[in-house]
Amino acid sequence: MDFALDDEQTLIAQTVRRFVDKDVRAWAADADRAGAAPPRLSAVGGDLGFFLDAVPEASGGLLDGPYSHLRRALRGLELGRGCAGMAAVLETNVEPALAVGRWGSAAAREALFASLAGGGLATTARDARGTLDVTRDGDGLRITGKIGPVPALATASHVLLAARTGDEPVLALVATAGARREAVATSGWRAAAWGSLVLEATAVPASMVLARGAAAADAITEVLTWYKVSLAARATGVATAGMEHARKYADERIQFGKPIGTFESLIRLRDDADTGAAAVRLMALHAAWLADRVVDGPTRAAAHDAASRARVLAGDVVDRATVDAVQILGGYGFVNDYPVEKLMRDARAFAQLLGDERFDRILAVRAQQGA
Amino acid sequence: MDIFHDNPMLTGVRQMLGAFAKQSIRPIAVKHDRDESMPWDLMKMAQGFGMTQTAVVDGRKALTGKDEDGESGNAKKPASQARIGVAGSEELAYGCAGICLAIGGSGLAASPVSRMGNEEQKQEFRKLLKGDDEKGHIKVAAMALSEPSTGSDISGLSTTARPDGDHFVINGHKQWITNGASAAVYVVWANTDPTAGRAGVRGFIVGRGTPGLVPGRKETKLGIRASETAQVHFEDCRVHKDMMLGVGQSSEGLSDTKKMLDSTRPMVGAQAVGIARAAFEYLVERVQGGTMQGTPMANHQRVAFELAEMEMEIQAARALVHKAAWMADHHMDNVRMASIAKAYGAKVAQDVTSRALTLLGEEALESGHPVEKWYRDAKIYDIFEGTGQIQRRIIARSIFGVNPT
Ligand SMILES: Cc1cc2nc3c(=O)[nH]c(=O)nc-3n(C[C@H](O)[C@H](O)[C@H](O)COP(=O)(O)OP(=O)(O)OC[C@H]3O[C@@H](n4cnc5c(N)ncnc54)[C@H](O)[C@@H]3O)c2cc1C
Repeated sequence: MDFALDDEQTLIAQTVRRFVDKDVRAWAADADRAGAAPPRLSAVGGDLGFFLDAVPEASGGLLDGPYSHLRRALRGLELGRGCAGMAAVLETNVEPALAVGRWGSAAAREALFASLAGGGLATTARDARGTLDVTRDGDGLRITGKIGPVPALATASHVLLAARTGDEPVLALVATAGARREAVATSGWRAAAWGSLVLEATAVPASMVLARGAAAADAITEVLTWYKVSLAARATGVATAGMEHARKYADERIQFGKPIGTFESLIRLRDDADTGAAAVRLMALHAAWLADRVVDGPTRAAAHDAASRARVLAGDVVDRATVDAVQILGGYGFVNDYPVEKLMRDARAFAQLLGDERFDRILAVRAQQGA
Repeated sequence: MDIFHDNPMLTGVRQMLGAFAKQSIRPIAVKHDRDESMPWDLMKMAQGFGMTQTAVVDGRKALTGKDEDGESGNAKKPASQARIGVAGSEELAYGCAGICLAIGGSGLAASPVSRMGNEEQKQEFRKLLKGDDEKGHIKVAAMALSEPSTGSDISGLSTTARPDGDHFVINGHKQWITNGASAAVYVVWANTDPTAGRAGVRGFIVGRGTPGLVPGRKETKLGIRASETAQVHFEDCRVHKDMMLGVGQSSEGLSDTKKMLDSTRPMVGAQAVGIARAAFEYLVERVQGGTMQGTPMANHQRVAFELAEMEMEIQAARALVHKAAWMADHHMDNVRMASIAKAYGAKVAQDVTSRALTLLGEEALESGHPVEKWYRDAKIYDIFEGTGQIQRRIIARSIFGVNPT
C-alpha cells in the first residue's frame, strides 16, 4: 500500500491550491456577500480544466479515457479550503456529464454536451423524501413537484435527477428550459447559484431517461458515490480552512497574558478537528479509489458504502470544526469581517444535501433485513 | 414537580410572553434577520407592556406589579425576580433571540446602575431613556465593557478615565457593544487608576451626544441580527464625576462587573433554552405529519429518538437555569450554578438546532428557514457574557480553587 501521491496527483493538488490561495480565497467574502460567484470564476476555472473535465473529448470536452475520482477528490480537498460555494459551481457538471456519458442516449449526450461545451452548467438532484410525483408516460416520464433547492439550479440548463416512479427508481436528465425556476438565497455556499425547479406535469422524453428499475438503482448508486466522495473531500477542505484561520488567530490573540492557543481546551478543539479532518481525508480518498475501480455489483456497493461513510463523518467533522473555529475567534468569530462565520454557514450543506445520510444507511440495512 | 407550579406569577409571565412571542415576534423575525434591523415598532410595543429590562431600574412594578428590588427593605426575603427573568427570557427567545435581545438588551446597562447607582444616577439614567429619539424610536441603553483586545480577560481593559477636576476624561475603544450605535445612554467601564489594576475599574453613565462619545460601525453578524452590535469610541470624553457608579459605596471595581454578569447568566441560558425549544417544536410538528418510505416519520427511531434526545437536553437545561435563578431569588451564591446553566443552555441550543437541520435536509438550507436562523442565533450563547470556556473555568475554579490553563 502506498499513501504517497504520484507526480501527476501532486501537480493537480498544487495547482488547485495555488488557484485557491491566490484567487478563490480573495474572492470568497465578496462572493458570499453578493450571493454570486465572480464572473471571472468561469474563465479561470475553465482554464484550469473545470466544467468540461467529465465531458468526452469527442463532444467538446477534456475527458480522454476513464475519469479519475481520486484526482477529483484531491482537488476537492483544496477547493474546500477556498470557498465551498465556488467549489460547488466548479464541480457541478461532473455527475451529469459522467452519467450522460455512461448511460445517456445520443440525444441526451447531444443536448447536455452541447450546452456544457457552450459554457452552460448542469446539476444533480435526488428526491430523497419521495415528494416528487413521477409517472410513466409511454417510455418517458411526467413529473410534478419541486426539485431543490440545489446548487447551480438557478442557471443550469439540465438537472440529473434521481427519483422513483412508484417502486421503480429512475435516473433522468431534465431540461430546465420552459419550467418555472426560482433562485434561492441560502445561508451557506452562497456563491453557488442555488435554485429550485417547479415542474407541473412536465414531460421528460424517453431519450432523456438514462435508466430505470434495477439498472437505475445501480446507476444512481454510482452517481451518489461520485457526489458523496466529492462532498466529503470538499467538506474536509472547509474543516481544514476553519482550523487554519483558528490556529493563526489563536497564536496571535492574547488573553490572561498568554496566546489563547496555549490554553489546553483550545488545543483540544483544534486537535479534535485535525484528527477528524485527517480521518475524513483518508476515507474520501479511499472511497474515490474504490469509485475508480467499480466493475460489478460488489465493487459498486463497496465504493458507495465507503463514500457514504466518508460523507457521514465529513458532515460531523466539518460542522464541529467550523463551529469550533468560530468559538476560538470569540466575538470576532461571530462577525462577518473574519472568514470563519462563513465557513460555519458553509459547513451545513455537506450534511443536508441529498438528504440525511445516516437515515439512508439505516434504511438500507433494514431493506436488506427485509424489514 | 413542574418548575412553574409553585409560582402563579411565573405561569402568567410565561403565558403572556409566550403569546407575544408567537403573535408578535415570530411574524417579523425573518425580516429583521435578513435586513439586520432592529424591530423598533415592536420594541415600543414591548416597552408599553413594561417588558424592556430597564424595568430593573424603573422598579419591577411594570412587569410584575411588585417592586422586588432587593434594596426595598428586607433583603433576605425570597424574591421571584430572577425566575421571572428566566421564564420570560425563554419565551422571548423562543420567538426570536435577536428580537429578545433588542427588547431586553438595555437590561445589561440597567443592571449595574440598579446594583451600584445612587438615587441621582438612577434618575439620570431614567431621564436619558425617557421619551422617544428624533426618529420616534424608544431609547435604548448599552453596556460597554469589551474592547478590541479584551473580551474574556476584562482585567486587561485599556480604556482609561483620567480624573480632571470635577470630571473624568475617558479614552478608549469598545468592541461588540449591544445597542452600541443607537443607544441614548452608555454604561462604560474604564480604568480610573491604572496603578490600582483591577480595583481601578469603574463604570460611568454617559449620555449620547456627550462630546467625545462616538458611536462606531455596526457589525454584520452570523446571528441575532435583529440586535445591533457596534463599536463605540471615546475620544477625550468628559464625564462628570457624579456619573461614576459605586460612589459612596465600597465598590470593588472590576469584581462589580463580574457580579453584573453572574446575575444575567441564568437569563442568557434561558434564552438558549428558548431557541432549542423553538427548533424542537418545529420538528415535532413536521415529524407528526411526515412519512418516510410509507412509514410515519414518528415510527422511525432514527427520527423519534433524536427528538427524545432533544427533549431530554431541553428539560435538563431549563431545570438548570431555573435552579440558578431560584438560588439568586433566595440570595444564595449561585456563581457556579449560573455558569453551569449558561454553558449548558448554550450547548443544548447548538446541539438541538444542528440535529434539527440534519433531519430537515435540503429545505433548511434556505436562508430565512426558521431552523437555519435558530442555528445561527444559537452560536452567540457560547460566546457573549463569558464564553463557554470561561464558564468552564469558573465552574472548575469553584471545584478546585484554581484557574486551570
Ligand atoms: C453579538 C455580540 C454582542 C456582544 N455584546 C456585548 C455588550 O453589550 N457589551 C460588552 O461589553 N461586550 C459585548 N460582547 C463581547 C463579548 O462579551 C465578548 O466577545 C466575549 O466576552 C469574548 O471575548 P472575545 O471576543 O474578546 O474573545 P477572547 O476572550 O479573545 O477569546 C477567544 C477564545 O479564547 C478562549 N479563551 C479565552 N480565555 C481563555 C482561557 N483562560 N481558557 C480557555 N480558553 C480561553 C475563549 O473562550 C474563546 O474561545 C458582545 C459580543 C458579541 C459577539
